[in-house]
Amino acid sequence: MPRIADRPSVTLALGLGLVLAAALTPAGLAGQPVPALAWPIWAAVFTLGLTMFRASGWLLPEALRRVAWLLPFVVALAIPAGLASPDGRRGLVTVALAARALSAATAGAGLAAMLGPAGLVRALRQLRVPARLVAIVEATLASLAVVTRQVTHMLRAREARRPHYGAWSGLFSRPVETVRGYGRLVAALLLRSLERAEALEQARRARGGAE
Amino acid sequence: MLDSVHIPDGFLSAGVAATTWVAAGASLAGSLAVERREARTVPAGVLGSLAAFVFAAQMVNVPVAPGASGHLVGATLVALLVGPWRSLLVMAVVLAIQALLFQDGGISAFGANLLDMGVVGTLVGFTVAWAVSGAGRSLRGIAAGGVLGAFAATLAASALTAVWLGLSGLYPLRLLLPVMLTAHVAIGLLEAALTGGILVTILRWRPDLVRGLGAGAGDRRSVALVVGALGLALAVAAFVAPYASALPDGLEATAEALGFASRARSYVPAPLAGYSLPLASSFAAAPAVAGTIGTLAAGVLAWAVGRSLKSSDHASHR
Repeated sequence: MPRIADRPSVTLALGLGLVLAAALTPAGLAGQPVPALAWPIWAAVFTLGLTMFRASGWLLPEALRRVAWLLPFVVALAIPAGLASPDGRRGLVTVALAARALSAATAGAGLAAMLGPAGLVRALRQLRVPARLVAIVEATLASLAVVTRQVTHMLRAREARRPHYGAWSGLFSRPVETVRGYGRLVAALLLRSLERAEALEQARRARGGAE
Repeated sequence: MLDSVHIPDGFLSAGVAATTWVAAGASLAGSLAVERREARTVPAGVLGSLAAFVFAAQMVNVPVAPGASGHLVGATLVALLVGPWRSLLVMAVVLAIQALLFQDGGISAFGANLLDMGVVGTLVGFTVAWAVSGAGRSLRGIAAGGVLGAFAATLAASALTAVWLGLSGLYPLRLLLPVMLTAHVAIGLLEAALTGGILVTILRWRPDLVRGLGAGAGDRRSVALVVGALGLALAVAAFVAPYASALPDGLEATAEALGFASRARSYVPAPLAGYSLPLASSFAAAPAVAGTIGTLAAGVLAWAVGRSLKSSDHASHR
């Protein structure tokens, strides 16, 4: 019998199941009650999410720090939604929404830590996702590091050449120049990315790759 | 402050999440079917590189107003480069990687996010760009189409996001819709300006890369019809319908509930404050007229920014 580690598709399916179980458990919206079972479900999914981090070799403080990145987004949506709830339920709805969002996101982050980019591509293949989509995912992940490195280099080069041109702080004093500077930077990035992709494609065909 | 329309996990009801997943899955299947039938293929590596570019561009947030930031969504731009169906595939991959590896946008909300930014963002942006660019497909027409398309796509995506959140019972839709649309006007202007600037640069250096508009062809009458219908829908959805209600908006309701509504002050006089007309505040249709003026002003501003980017680009390369 194959181990789960050999079957990233199983890990992906189980992880997605956990995320969906947490995300779709009722949280008191639209006047509905929060079921008593909801709290143990969110606690269990949150704990399993942290366990997935630990299984991938992350230390608990690192995992908690990663989960903390998600807090501002969760709070930004949960508090206004709680305030929009009827009187007497505001606190309950706010806490339930925050617990639901945080547990689902923790499970998702743990799943990402376990699979990693290569595991994700293998899992998609095993799940028989259309080959064209998997090929685009694979190419995206392969290009991602290069493209983000290019962005960093270009921002550094621009800063070195013209320290004040196109800086974000100039958005209100020189809005056109700032947006134009950013637009040119992104356009140059796009051209470089596409030219690199075309060169890789030609190299692949030169080695006998199919159309 | 929300800086984009990525809905995280935990904020959609089960029914809305399931429905949007099914609708997004059907759209994706349709795109794949169209892609299989296409005679001219684009290598997966090029589409992947475009997806990585969109991903990287979305990482860089730019302040658009005090307390709010935005970033390029890129659906309209990608649609103009490789066509709307491929743009949907690219946006699906970007959103999937963001949700799976970075928790930027929820997994349960993937369907809603794909419908907002992928399907609506692509189709509204591309349709407007295709219609505005006209039969000649001149550089000026394509750039103007991209600018207006990107603006319309951002507002349409934000409106749809408000619909999903409203249907999930998170907030009352009549309160959320105007807040979302108002907040996204500035982000839409940024998206429009960036899309225009990027398009002009690409058209200048590598016009062969702008292949998406080849997918569209039609006569001027249908073009005018599409532009008219979309413009009308946008104006009604953005400004007239929400403010037809006399109920307080989300922030006002919250302020009243918490007892600090009376502290509200206006520090800078606005010409159309409260969506009323300066010399005709008692005029019954004043909110509608003021809203229409706002819509037109936003569109003209987006156009002007796009033109300024284009003309300065020409000047700098002379």
